Amino acid sequence: MKTSIKFCGMRCEEDYLKAVESGADMLGFIFASGKRQVNSEEVALWQRNKPPHPGQKLTGVFVNASAEQVLETVKKAGLHIVQFHGTEPPEELKAIKSASGVQVYKTLHHHKEAVNEMAKYEGTADGYVIDTKTSGAWGGTGRQFDWEAVPAYTREAERQGVPCLIAGGVNTDNIYKLLAYKPSGIDVSSGIETDGKKDERKMSEMKKAVSKTYQAPDHLGRFGPFGGKYVPETLMYALEELEEAYDSIKNDPEFAKELHKEMKEYSGRPTALSYAGQLSAHYGGGQIFLKREDLNHTGAHKINNALAQALLAKRMGKTQIIAETGAGQHGVASATVAARFGLTCKVFMGAEDIRRQELNVFRMRLLGAEVIEVHSGGKTLKDATNEAIRHWVANVHDTFYLIGSVVGPHPYPMMVRDFQSIIGEESKRQLSERTGKLPDEVVACVGGGSNAMGIFYPFIEDEVKLTGVEAAGKGIDTPEHAATLSKGRKGVLHGSLSYLLQDEDGNITEPYSISAGLDYPGIGPEHAHLRDTGRVNYEAVTDKEALEALEDLCRFEGILPAIETAHALAYVKKKAPGMSKDDIILVCLSGRGDKDVHTIQDALGEEIE
Amino acid sequence: MNRLNDTEFQSKKSKFVPYIMSGHPGYESSIDIALTLQDSGVDAVEWGVPFSDPLADGPVIQEAGEQSRKGGGSLRKALKGLKEAREKGLEIPVVLFTYINPVLSLGFNELILEMKKADVDGLLIPDLPFEESDELRKLCNVEGISLISLIAPSSNHRMEKISRLGDGFLYYVTSLGVTGTRESFSDLLASNISELKKTAQVPVLAGFGISTREHVRYFQDISDGVIVGSALVKFISERQQELKDNKTKKEALQEIKVFVQDLIS
Repeated sequence: MKTSIKFCGMRCEEDYLKAVESGADMLGFIFASGKRQVNSEEVALWQRNKPPHPGQKLTGVFVNASAEQVLETVKKAGLHIVQFHGTEPPEELKAIKSASGVQVYKTLHHHKEAVNEMAKYEGTADGYVIDTKTSGAWGGTGRQFDWEAVPAYTREAERQGVPCLIAGGVNTDNIYKLLAYKPSGIDVSSGIETDGKKDERKMSEMKKAVSKTYQAPDHLGRFGPFGGKYVPETLMYALEELEEAYDSIKNDPEFAKELHKEMKEYSGRPTALSYAGQLSAHYGGGQIFLKREDLNHTGAHKINNALAQALLAKRMGKTQIIAETGAGQHGVASATVAARFGLTCKVFMGAEDIRRQELNVFRMRLLGAEVIEVHSGGKTLKDATNEAIRHWVANVHDTFYLIGSVVGPHPYPMMVRDFQSIIGEESKRQLSERTGKLPDEVVACVGGGSNAMGIFYPFIEDEVKLTGVEAAGKGIDTPEHAATLSKGRKGVLHGSLSYLLQDEDGNITEPYSISAGLDYPGIGPEHAHLRDTGRVNYEAVTDKEALEALEDLCRFEGILPAIETAHALAYVKKKAPGMSKDDIILVCLSGRGDKDVHTIQDALGEEIE
Repeated sequence: MNRLNDTEFQSKKSKFVPYIMSGHPGYESSIDIALTLQDSGVDAVEWGVPFSDPLADGPVIQEAGEQSRKGGGSLRKALKGLKEAREKGLEIPVVLFTYINPVLSLGFNELILEMKKADVDGLLIPDLPFEESDELRKLCNVEGISLISLIAPSSNHRMEKISRLGDGFLYYVTSLGVTGTRESFSDLLASNISELKKTAQVPVLAGFGISTREHVRYFQDISDGVIVGSALVKFISERQQELKDNKTKKEALQEIKVFVQDLIS
């Protein structure tokens, strides 16, 4: 359900006009004494000059006023709702309601009995406002209460079938945090002011925030039923600490500035958007655009997230980062940023992967990282991840765990998505500058799913088809694949609930794909949610199809993509011919294929002369 | 009501609760070991379920789990083995120790049903913090099974909430990191545990890394009892051949009994 928004405390005609224009659901006027007090004549005059939009409800706020005063004001000011902000008992609300026919709201101050208080107004109140309790003053406190309590208020109001607005200290920085508690409405006053005047920029930001139809995860880190924090108690503290640190930098302009500088001057962002003209002509259908994440420093999108998390680690005063790696790409990105920021780095890697990826192991060591060989379980990525988590549990005080994908316990899936969203934001801007349009379809490969979430997320509320492509290995009907969404069942791995490849006893099974980066038995919880809600479509392509598409991109565009990326291209190869020439298909070219040359040679060697 | 919440377990001083892995070193021998532990005078037993990705465990228990799985070990099999142990005379309280994924795979209702059949007293899921445990906790409550909560030295402000949820006993994790033997423990533990005991409604047992008689004594002094896992599992692993062979089994079980009685004494 969409959250409604009330802009409260209009002091002058200018404030009122801005609020009408903002499209707020409710406009509030204070008829009690205080700095925002207005009188009914003013409010009536403003309305004559500019009536509210249809559906906008004018609300008058009163504190223990006499019934005569309330009724007179309702009439003169043309109010739709009366909000009782004092100690008015239910009978008083009832009297006003029957005398005037307007809706009546009751403000209650947050304290442990407030939910029980609500029950007393059941059947009378048409809505509630919950505000921070203060001694001596009635409302307009501008301070926030503990929002952990929001769901309890919302539940009680829902039970009564009425809305419940949350007030007190809501501003443009913390509104997303409040929205994660899914309130039915939000009431803002000082949060939309700058120097005592209503600020239209803040109003529009607030309105935009509540108008978003896609809001995930919630305050528990849930994307629908997926995600969460399934970790031993010993780690909960570290996750809470991380969540707090991430919250503090999310809207910090200093952090954004520093990150932007690194992205630009160190990694080479913005990355190019290339029109693949010859490939489009060859496939004979939609126009193919490639978002060139392969042009990043270290050759893939992984660095976007690694840079951001390493900066965060420094902010938190951590001196060591640890990371898990399968093929070595995230390990290399982590070793790189550790070197850049003067942090020590330990990379956990399965013994089996170390054997297969000698060169990347050497690269990491060259960059000064310690590569720790993991011998437990199947000796691959998931075991390396287990070991990294175990190490983290024991060394939380000085160690930051740099997770490389949109997996793991909350807040990782959200944080990595946010850090990778730059891919989608840039693409959207670049494409619109070039073509004046949004793409018709956006395609990305999915292992854990970070490049896909990064490019999808900024398009999620647009009318754009989104397609994630999984690795079908030797075929999804063989035992050798990594098609988690096509073939997995719900379960918990590495701290979050998602779809997983597992046996009938709930043991995680080893996936297979020619691409080491897609070779993961789980998938980010947000992808699970997007699949189940139907917002994103997921397909699976085989090793063979991926390699064919890889060859096409080499020959027609002169770009050697990573085998991971080639999975997205293989889907494009099937899809583009059926599209119209005006259609645009945007592909996340997540990484370059230099690292895969040996594998490609082994697979194709004899076919290429 | 279950045996953990009986006055006998609740009021017993210096409790000693060993952990063993079901199906380790073999299906039959793990049942024999459970019965031997009862003979040794332990107050309850934790019955481990093997899982492919045991995040909270160190190498010793991981290895035991791998071996159990190779022999066909699973959540279902663990419950079956327990039922058999009950039939053979296991009467002490039993806590089923499993990760969440095997539980999700089996289904909550099926798990509860099977736990009732095996007469399980408590359930401990190390990767299920209280934020995620509401549904299962309700189901356990209805059937009188204690869902055991873990508390860590780093739980800080979470401690009060967790201790309020305490049922059966509270499992105080004595060190950060995974299960496995350790040389030393933080000095802060004593004050931390005594703080917890002030609010706890159920006994506080200490576990993780407790491996010697000295450790056992130390923690029995500052808490209501101890849980010993890796040290015992290691002792069992070292005798797996003997335990699987009918000719030498009796002697190996006797050694386990002596080992445990030595820890308790």
